[in-house]
Amino acid sequence: MKSISEILKQKQTGLYFGNRVLLPFSCHILKLNIENDLITDFSPCCKGVYVSENPDFMEIYFHDYKDLGEVITKYEAIKMIVVEKGKDIFNEKYHITLALHPEDNHQLRIEKLGENQIFIE
Amino acid sequence: MFPRGKILIIFFILIIGFIASQESFAITSNTLSDSTVAISSVEDTHSADNLPSTFMVLPFVILLAMIATGPLFYHHFWEKNYPIIAIILGLVTVFYYLFFLNDTHSLLHTAAEYLSFIALLSSLFVASGGILIRVDKKSTPWLNAGILLFGAVIANIIGTTGASMLLIRPFIKINKDRIKPYHIVFFIFLVSNIGGALTPIGDPPLFLGFLRGVEFFWVIGHVWYIWLPTILLVTLIFVVIDSRNVSKEESGEKFSGKIEFKGMRNVFYLLVIVISVFIDPAVMSWVPSLSPLPFGIREIIMFSMVIISYQTADDDILKANEFNFEPIKEVAYLFVGIFATMIPALQLISHEANILGEKLTPGIFYWATGILSSFLDNAPTYLNFLSAEMGKFGMNVNMPAEVLKFEQLHPIYLSAISVAAVFFGAMTYIGNGPNFMVKSISERSGIKMPSFFGFMIKYSIPVLIPIFTIVWLVFYF
Repeated sequence: MKSISEILKQKQTGLYFGNRVLLPFSCHILKLNIENDLITDFSPCCKGVYVSENPDFMEIYFHDYKDLGEVITKYEAIKMIVVEKGKDIFNEKYHITLALHPEDNHQLRIEKLGENQIFIE
Repeated sequence: MFPRGKILIIFFILIIGFIASQESFAITSNTLSDSTVAISSVEDTHSADNLPSTFMVLPFVILLAMIATGPLFYHHFWEKNYPIIAIILGLVTVFYYLFFLNDTHSLLHTAAEYLSFIALLSSLFVASGGILIRVDKKSTPWLNAGILLFGAVIANIIGTTGASMLLIRPFIKINKDRIKPYHIVFFIFLVSNIGGALTPIGDPPLFLGFLRGVEFFWVIGHVWYIWLPTILLVTLIFVVIDSRNVSKEESGEKFSGKIEFKGMRNVFYLLVIVISVFIDPAVMSWVPSLSPLPFGIREIIMFSMVIISYQTADDDILKANEFNFEPIKEVAYLFVGIFATMIPALQLISHEANILGEKLTPGIFYWATGILSSFLDNAPTYLNFLSAEMGKFGMNVNMPAEVLKFEQLHPIYLSAISVAAVFFGAMTYIGNGPNFMVKSISERSGIKMPSFFGFMIKYSIPVLIPIFTIVWLVFYF
């Protein structure tokens, strides 16, 4: 599986279908924001979000939303702070802030959060 | 397929069009003067005979109760259904006035007022969304205080909504290494609420007063000496709290000290919007009236600014501001319902206040307006109490000439509700439109904000209530 930095460098996209997001990398999610929901609980008992890991990709299901393409408008994004699998989760320099933008044809543009955007850890 | 909300709003517009066409006969035969506001002058003072039924206050009460509880207790249902709820409740009142009271004057007047209101809010919202400020300075309590004071002042020029939109992100960014919920809470206190108490552009209640006939500069002349000490006191408390949160260790981060400002074109649009507030036949006699249409040149300019400022805005700025139309769409839908359903409430309150008379002091109006503004939207609350105050003196809030007379004869009453409606809007997340917007932006920026009751118990009650009590003792006791 490719690393997050490779994905960002190659501008590889993810996918989304309805409330399901597919990411072409594997990571630990520390914090996530969608709309006004700030999610830090990724345990199986959390009703709002479900994370599933597969050998070659990751899936996130947002149970409170039907269609991410409708919810996340042109200038908005799903924001998340992640740590790549295998990296030291306790070292802040490995914490990466990503923005996921739903686009046409179920494509999900993945980018590092720009300097004008803020997502505080 | 059209969504249900859009079908209903088209239906609503058709009804207003129908009323306007009916009204045009009355207006041409009366050779009325020019203003859209002047339409209200034909409105009769409501005697006990043609008062609406008390039950007709129910849609208003239901709507306000749902606005207060929806985002807190059933927010997914509320987010999906608020447009249809607001419009249906509004239509109940519209049908009642059309077919039971045969009163088209009140409806048309309210439609004109709604369009002016939403034109101002939406244009300020969109124009300020295309501006980006970046401050590369080290976060200190005094820098933060300076930003809050600056925000409080400009809230009177671009509205509390515009000032909040413009400053919340730079404020969060400056404090990103030590941001705490209290930073955002004091921002809500000062920039999103108390700051905007000096002009009708500042806060929606005052703009509604202006539309009813309160002179533009009346508020600043009668409120500044209450505004200034309140602002300084709240800022001082912020500085004391913030000083305890400053790390003594140097982070090693270098700051250029630069303040970057992008989106100058939108500043020009903001200027046009502010100037257009005065482009009204009631203020400038050369301005043509579009009567019997429920809008005028001013509203056309403002709505044009919405389109122009959005279409010409820099994409990077809109992205940095995470711009979307949802907040203003919410205000537009909810206020269709609020404006329509509050017509009977206004008339009944005015009538009751006239009966209660002497018992109602400025202090009572101050606290009643304040407490209700904390939990209901402060704009309709202000208008209800303006109606009550004028009713106490046998005057009609629907007649601009009487509003003008009222502000001259009983300034302390008008000042009490103006101050209370704006100041107490800071008491809860639902007191004023920008409060929720700032909370939402902060949460999207990763800041965990206090709950509805946490906000009150930890911040607004201990900080604001003592200050508002001092205001009452000094000015309205």
